[in-house]
Amino acid sequence: MNFKLILRVLGLLAFVEAFFLLCCTAMAFCYAEDDTMAFVVSLGIAIGTGLLFTLAGKGAEKNMSRKDGYIVVSVSWILFAIIGMFPYLLSHYTSGVTDAFFESMSGFTSTGSSIMDNIDSCPHALLFWRSLTQWVGGLGIILFTIALIPSIGMGDVSLFAAQSMGPLPGKLQPRIANTAQWIFTVYLVLTIGCAVSLYFCGMNVFDAVNHAFTSIGTGGFSTHQDSIQFFNSARIEYVLIAFMFFAGVNYNLIYFFALRGKFKRLFKDTEFKWYAILFIISTAICALSLHFDNGLDWEPSLRFSAFQTISLSTSTGYCSHDYMLWAPKLQPILLLLMVIGGCAGSSAGGFKVVRIAMLCKMTRNETKKMLHPNAVIPLRINGQVVATPAKMILITFTFLYLLTFFVGWLALMFFGIEFSEAATCSLSALSNIGPGIGAYGPAFSWSIMSPGAKWVCAALMFIGRLEIMCVFVLFTRSFWKRH
Amino acid sequence: MKIVIAGAGAVGTHLANLLSKEKHDIILIDQDAAKLEEPGSRFDLLTINISATSIHGLKEAGVGSADLVIAVTPDESRNIAICMLSHSLGAKKTVARINNSEYLDPKYRRYFQEMGIDSLIYPERLAAQEIADSMKMSWVRQSWEFHDGALELIGVKVRANAQILNRKLKELGEESLPFHVVAIKRKRNTIIPRGNDMLLEGDLVYFMTTKKHLPVIRTLCGKDKYEEVKNITIIGGGKAAVQASMLIPDYMNIKIIEQDEERAKQLTSMVHDRVMVIHGDGRDMRLLVDEDIKNTQAFVALTGSAETNILACLAAKRMGVRKTVAMVENLDYVSMAESLDIGTIINKKTIAAGHIYQMMLDADVSNLKCLTVSSADVVEFIVGEKSRAAGKEIRELDLPAGATIGGLVRNGEGILASGSTRLESDDSAVVFCIDTEVKRLEKYFK
Repeated sequence: MNFKLILRVLGLLAFVEAFFLLCCTAMAFCYAEDDTMAFVVSLGIAIGTGLLFTLAGKGAEKNMSRKDGYIVVSVSWILFAIIGMFPYLLSHYTSGVTDAFFESMSGFTSTGSSIMDNIDSCPHALLFWRSLTQWVGGLGIILFTIALIPSIGMGDVSLFAAQSMGPLPGKLQPRIANTAQWIFTVYLVLTIGCAVSLYFCGMNVFDAVNHAFTSIGTGGFSTHQDSIQFFNSARIEYVLIAFMFFAGVNYNLIYFFALRGKFKRLFKDTEFKWYAILFIISTAICALSLHFDNGLDWEPSLRFSAFQTISLSTSTGYCSHDYMLWAPKLQPILLLLMVIGGCAGSSAGGFKVVRIAMLCKMTRNETKKMLHPNAVIPLRINGQVVATPAKMILITFTFLYLLTFFVGWLALMFFGIEFSEAATCSLSALSNIGPGIGAYGPAFSWSIMSPGAKWVCAALMFIGRLEIMCVFVLFTRSFWKRH
Repeated sequence: MKIVIAGAGAVGTHLANLLSKEKHDIILIDQDAAKLEEPGSRFDLLTINISATSIHGLKEAGVGSADLVIAVTPDESRNIAICMLSHSLGAKKTVARINNSEYLDPKYRRYFQEMGIDSLIYPERLAAQEIADSMKMSWVRQSWEFHDGALELIGVKVRANAQILNRKLKELGEESLPFHVVAIKRKRNTIIPRGNDMLLEGDLVYFMTTKKHLPVIRTLCGKDKYEEVKNITIIGGGKAAVQASMLIPDYMNIKIIEQDEERAKQLTSMVHDRVMVIHGDGRDMRLLVDEDIKNTQAFVALTGSAETNILACLAAKRMGVRKTVAMVENLDYVSMAESLDIGTIINKKTIAAGHIYQMMLDADVSNLKCLTVSSADVVEFIVGEKSRAAGKEIRELDLPAGATIGGLVRNGEGILASGSTRLESDDSAVVFCIDTEVKRLEKYFK
């Protein structure tokens, strides 16, 4: 393993984070609130780490193996979370390392679970940092870095391969740097579009930018304790529904749709169809229930259900209406949406729609095969036959996903969380959603959790964001064996 | 540049790897998904699993906007079809790999141009040419020509009898000898020498020179006594052997040893009468002795197996053959074979890739790395009119430590470079560099 190169790339990443911290430091100076020192010190820590790693990695050979790629990708998120917790820790708006790390990890994995009960009294720069982490984490640290520094020239290929973008390969351009830049462009355009729309719907600039960051990053942090309920504006909710929906679509598709004018490609895409149908059906069911069971008017019930379903299925986790007040029979539907998540190749988390589509089609094929044992039935996604290795990985992924979920559930119960709440917290963290149910529902923060449970959740978020395999491979014996 | 490569075989993959490192947009297409897996996950390029002879497939790969389409599938007629289709779809330039020397005849070039094929490559033929050249100048390890022979680059192993050993290059330069030492391979390291460096015994020295001065270098290197090649033994009767036997000058006698009886019979109808075809195993020492290996000046191993070729060459060396040539297709073995002191290593992939590089250089005046010698990169720059280099002497340029100018080509004439040579605009400068980014050099010449 080429540890020198790993350190060097991590050093570079630390500088990237330092750049983001610099933006926040500048902001803190402008607002002149009590978090300025915290940001200055954090910036120093980031730059120091960057220098230290770069020096340690001086003279590294520039060939990165597959293993090195996995290590860099995994460790980079932990590194970002550790450096990113200092603003919270030093500004004393959170208490202790556990809370600060949880908040930071929740940010970079674009989960959106918060342990902060005092959001409305937080200084602007700190809130902006919170949102920025989700924006960076939504696209992915590595992709962000390759897009910003295209001539990184150190193992881009291994890093890109290690950073999972879903079960099927998708590359827009022959060169990774160009691909990353296009994806970044799509992301940036969506973000700007969202911020401008929100501004015209009545948010102030600060709120508009922050909410654009966290909705396109599908994170779900808000600048207000009451999340979107604070604004109490139908227009804002509609805008967010639309942008959350697009944030959950594969960015490759948006690229072809918006920049290349290949409109058919979007509507022919298997994953997009499933994603849209799922959204429409679940919205309809929830709207019916809200209208008849809760007695809301048609318009609000439709709006609330659309908002909440898209918020949960794209793993954003905003709240415009507390779904704990909805009919209990809707909760399984919401849970299902949380499991499925958004499209592969987007900033959304979860199991990903395309995997569900593949599993469903595989099930159909296998039952058909029971009747026609000699039939050759291919599994097709977008007209392309999916090869056996991809299917094997899918099955392994499914197993690991379930396993991680159960282990997380068990661990959370050990730390004293009640049965159903532990299950949803585990799921919510693993799928990078944010809110759970019950005491961890959208109306509450997760601050009441015991410290142990917070670490478990932070670990689950990390594993979920990296799509599991990339983390698990580090814990295999053969990864560390010299042969 | 956007380059579409059809066929992810040995040559295609090697080219894709080289070109993707030069930051070109590479799209590699092949019907076989398994062949694309490795290049797709290791190199920075786009792979498309689709048939390259389908119009849909070519459109998907975007040949319409491609600057270059390289068809290197194993099948010649497929390659030609791919190039013709790509040309009609709008590809700017096309190259097809062929297996038939007839097509290379200059009088047919127009046919191919009309069909939309700009260039043909025949890797075995190129390899054969290199073998033939090395037979003619047997005292030279490797040689390359720049600008149709205006400049010549040769690699020579200097032994104890060379006159230029243990003297500083600075001193040699004062005698105004007609060469410029551009690189030295000493054991495993490649050095770009400076004035204070010395040539030592056992070095592989790369000289930049012009054709007429080759005899002078030969004398200086103590190679005058080197026996001229008269008799050649080739083992392995593949396509490369047949081509080589045609290109080697008439005054040399050739024996081809082929293991497969059927192929041996076939060979007799493919080669000239002066070539003797022998059915037998080229690794069989008794056979070699019977075939008078002691009187052979050159031993060329061209079987399909790199291991056999390397071992056979070693055996021949022990039996007193001075010049050995081995075809080594496995790139990882090349440096190993070099360290075993095998005279010339032939690698079809690098030869074919080098040829395509050279072609791209001709097509596009922008600068390109054209070949790799030992581990040094050789780059040709055209001196721009308003560049930093124009009108300056080389010593004033202050090039980075790992780079040196080997020579210039001005109006088609080769000029050897020394510190006081003045660069003029539109000169083509051949630069050697190690560990230096081509980008850093570019700013001197643009």
